Amino acid sequence: MDFRTSFFYTVFWKRFRRNRFALAGAAVVALLFIVSLCAPLIAPYDPAAIDAYRVLLPPSASHWMGTDELGRDVFTRVIYGTRISLYVGFVAVGIAVAIGTLVGLISGFYGGWIESVLMRFVDIMLCFPTFFLILAVIALLEPSIWNIMLIIGITGWMGVARLVRAEVLSIKERDYIMAARSIGASDIRILLLHILPNAAAPVLVAATLGVGGAILTESALSFLGIGVQPPMPSWGNILTSGKDYLEFAWWLSLFPGLAILVTVLAYNLLGEGIRDALDPRIHG
Amino acid sequence: MRGRAVTLPVLAALALLLVSCNGAGDTPPLPSRGPGIPAYGDTLVDGTIGEPSNLIPILATDSASHDVAALVYNGLVKYDKDLNLVGDLAESFEVSRDGLTITFHLRRGVKWHDGAGFTSRDVLYTYRVIVDPRTPTAYAEDFKQVKKVEAPDPYTFRASYAKPFAPALASWGTTVLPAHLLEGKDIAASPLARRPVGTGPYRFREWVPGQKVVLESFHDYFEGRPRIDRYVYRIIPDTSTMYMELKAGGIDMMPLTPVQYRRQTDTPDFTARFNKYRYPSASYVYLGYNLRNPLFRDKRVRQALTSAIDKQEIIQGVLLGMGQVAHGPYKPGTWAYKDRVKDFPYDPEKARALLAGAGWKPRPSDGMLVKDGRPFRFTILTNQGNDQRLKTAQIIQQRLRAVGIEVKIRVLEWASFITHFIDKRNFEAVILGWTITPDPDIYDVWSSGKTGFKELNFVGFRNAEVDALLERGRRTFDTAERRACYYRIQDILAEEQPYTFLYVPDALPTVNARFRGIEPAPAGISYNFIHWYVPKEEQVYSP
Repeated sequence: MDFRTSFFYTVFWKRFRRNRFALAGAAVVALLFIVSLCAPLIAPYDPAAIDAYRVLLPPSASHWMGTDELGRDVFTRVIYGTRISLYVGFVAVGIAVAIGTLVGLISGFYGGWIESVLMRFVDIMLCFPTFFLILAVIALLEPSIWNIMLIIGITGWMGVARLVRAEVLSIKERDYIMAARSIGASDIRILLLHILPNAAAPVLVAATLGVGGAILTESALSFLGIGVQPPMPSWGNILTSGKDYLEFAWWLSLFPGLAILVTVLAYNLLGEGIRDALDPRIHG
Repeated sequence: MRGRAVTLPVLAALALLLVSCNGAGDTPPLPSRGPGIPAYGDTLVDGTIGEPSNLIPILATDSASHDVAALVYNGLVKYDKDLNLVGDLAESFEVSRDGLTITFHLRRGVKWHDGAGFTSRDVLYTYRVIVDPRTPTAYAEDFKQVKKVEAPDPYTFRASYAKPFAPALASWGTTVLPAHLLEGKDIAASPLARRPVGTGPYRFREWVPGQKVVLESFHDYFEGRPRIDRYVYRIIPDTSTMYMELKAGGIDMMPLTPVQYRRQTDTPDFTARFNKYRYPSASYVYLGYNLRNPLFRDKRVRQALTSAIDKQEIIQGVLLGMGQVAHGPYKPGTWAYKDRVKDFPYDPEKARALLAGAGWKPRPSDGMLVKDGRPFRFTILTNQGNDQRLKTAQIIQQRLRAVGIEVKIRVLEWASFITHFIDKRNFEAVILGWTITPDPDIYDVWSSGKTGFKELNFVGFRNAEVDALLERGRRTFDTAERRACYYRIQDILAEEQPYTFLYVPDALPTVNARFRGIEPAPAGISYNFIHWYVPKEEQVYSP
């Protein structure tokens, strides 16, 4: 364990620190966390407070990002949208990582027909155009934030499963696994204590990149009206209402659009930074 | 893959910049236009949200079908620009002294679009098919009042009633169908539903499903050949797309939304290319309660709900001020409309008091109302594609929460809304609208005899006095007496609040400025469409 700790705090951090983009990404992600945790403190208004006498006002001192078609404060809604986006991002990716890791571990470790069946299933899942699969599932279920997270999760685990399987294939041949086996450790113990921790690095990278993807998918679904349902504010559904007033109420589309752009970019930069720092083969 | 996906928000942001730079337009504003010289030719492309369902109008209840039918067919009578009944296919008509018989003298020489002559046989057939119980029509009620019809000669038609029936004359405005194509056939299976044949100013040419319906002028029309050669309905199910099409020149006419009217169309470019019109529409929007539901059975609760809703705020926020508060089912300024009814203005304190009187007390934890341990909560249903109704629901939701009532909103696709929720009475509250007919007879919507399956009194309103007044109001031709009946009905509705009447919106049509001859009147702008024209030098479409 000592070795591991020192690796993380010295080698990893040294490499990561050199990557300015990754640092910027990390800073933005940290900021997003603070914003979403402190949303009620930062936001000047109630995100659901309708003011029929102040609809579609341009940005001003009292409404930094203007107001929407019901007179709600766009700045407040973008702030609360941060919460929804992070929430969806993390839960969906959590589900994807859990399923993917499980499938990857089992198929990599046991091999044989189990592996064939699981990996062919992965191939089948990868053949579906994910977005249309999601659309089809949403048509059956009621659109809600829970279903969205669930669906994004269960359609996004295949990459993780492949990564984990590849790691497991190489790890399970190592001497310490042989050693553990020779003293009679059970499969579960070997999988959870010896293989999983050593396969965690690529999963961490995939998860970080996945959060960005999940946020994007959520925004797209909410934009189409089948994601997070109003009055709960999400960047995607703020964009939707902006679409109808694009010609003159630019603030309604610009700010949530920028929020999505910056967030997804930050997660991608952070994820790539982590990958580069963990994997010395890429940057010699 | 992930890199590619990032483009979505970027595109959204870029598109926005492009559009806002382009806002003021590049076409030079035209000099102010004179009337020009009336000419034949050109095409009017009209934008419509909904696709017609059936072009045999007695079988359709949607406005898109009736809009198309209005150009293809005629009735025996019609409303003129001031909403007076005048002859249409009937050259003249007489009502007998006792009001029980109407004799129509039909126009001679009127032709169906296929060349056949129009006679009283067609009227006779139309009447018979409407009252035939096998015909799936929503318009039979008025014709069931008829005791006897006769056609003594090809150009005379007579209808007799057992009792005086005030809406009788107006009811003959129903579209007359071609007997020579339909008689002896099953109307519900007729190909005319997709390829109608009428007597109207425009004849059917083609219908491309999901895209457009094309009509062309009927040169033998009895009022003369229409000036505009073609009328195209383009189906565009989204108002902002439609507006883009309008500005791009793809369509010539559309109803503007309040936001488009107020915030997007006051540019020099727009005003040079389009004329916009504004007048009160013949419709009202309401929040209707399912009166069979125990929640809404107590009238104090309904009065409280109305008191908790600020109608002026809704008109401001949803219509940007372009509408009027509705207090009852009539259009302000018409003869049956009672100006001063005692209803319930916005007063949240009074709402709380009324609710407390009905046993609903605020819960100390969060102020939400409870009675017998059950919180006051209900769902408002409304239809998809109507942004104004959704916004109305959201404003109401906030106001009702302020007095301790929890409201959920559910938006449903129109067809399933009607068949699964309205027809089956499976709802708590709805936001919907009614058209206000020129004749004030509102029997179908408010009579306790009209609460059955698929009938229009779907909220289940039952009031013996209203029933008697509705009956009296349709059994006399004396306007003063009718007015007294409908005034009293408005008082009762204001007291009972079976609906919270919300607003009468303004109609906001816009038409490309090359079209001349448009004369706004109480009937709107479309009543004289056959006289609209485009001067030769401004015509866009060649034949």
